[in-house]
Amino acid sequence: MRFFMISCKKATYLVSKKEENRISWWESWQLRAHLGICSLCRKFEQQSGFIGRMAKQVTMHETLSPEKKEKIQAALTHEH
Amino acid sequence: MPKNQLNPDQWVQLYADALYNYTLPRVNDTAVAEDLVQETFISAWKARDSFKGEAAEKSWLFSICKNKIIDHYRKKARDIMQPMSATGVTDNFFDEAEHWTKQDQPGEWGIDLSNTVENKEFYSVLTMCRKKLQEMQEAAFSMKYLEDMDAAEICKVLGITSSNYWVLIHRAKLQLRTCLEKNWLHIK
Repeated sequence: MRFFMISCKKATYLVSKKEENRISWWESWQLRAHLGICSLCRKFEQQSGFIGRMAKQVTMHETLSPEKKEKIQAALTHEH
Repeated sequence: MPKNQLNPDQWVQLYADALYNYTLPRVNDTAVAEDLVQETFISAWKARDSFKGEAAEKSWLFSICKNKIIDHYRKKARDIMQPMSATGVTDNFFDEAEHWTKQDQPGEWGIDLSNTVENKEFYSVLTMCRKKLQEMQEAAFSMKYLEDMDAAEICKVLGITSSNYWVLIHRAKLQLRTCLEKNWLHIK
């Protein structure tokens, strides 16, 4: 049994590979077996997915100050 | 159909903020983002003769900006002498048997994790937490999640192997998770 079981460190590593579909069937089997008995790694998997989805959705609504825009404009004009 | 034309005199006024808002979350540094926006306009000006008018001015500028951002990651990776030093560093996430330590084991977040949430605080904490990542981890994280690049492309830009890449992403995730749990959930 020990031979088939992977550690939490390895399981969390495989969670990222799985998110990108880069996991082999053997790794996938090992991960499923581990997640079946480890609630901490199940939490990690959910939180990891959440962080990824949130990171993808980030939008910013900042504005550059007039001074910064003038500086950029000056640099651009300098090239003319 | 009239072809698209360039109006360089209006670039800063029309597109500086949009390019800045695109760049800032990707490089996570205001000064770097400002520089990249400026470089985008200058490169665009120098390349204006190659503009064929097939794309809209705005998307043409964004594609130049995107290349600037990738170049920025590439330079950063080259500047780091020992990019993979992190692999040998011991951490507190797991014990000797590679089980979670009490201190860093995932806690209950008490929110629905299957969806995303509208949450300004989350993003300000995420920005802060990303600043604590090592530069290579941060570059890999940005390219994977914000640029939506695949592992092979990212490895090429950073000049690393795919197993190096998985280690970077793994460690970035572990660190961000812990940092968010400590800092975001308390103010949620």
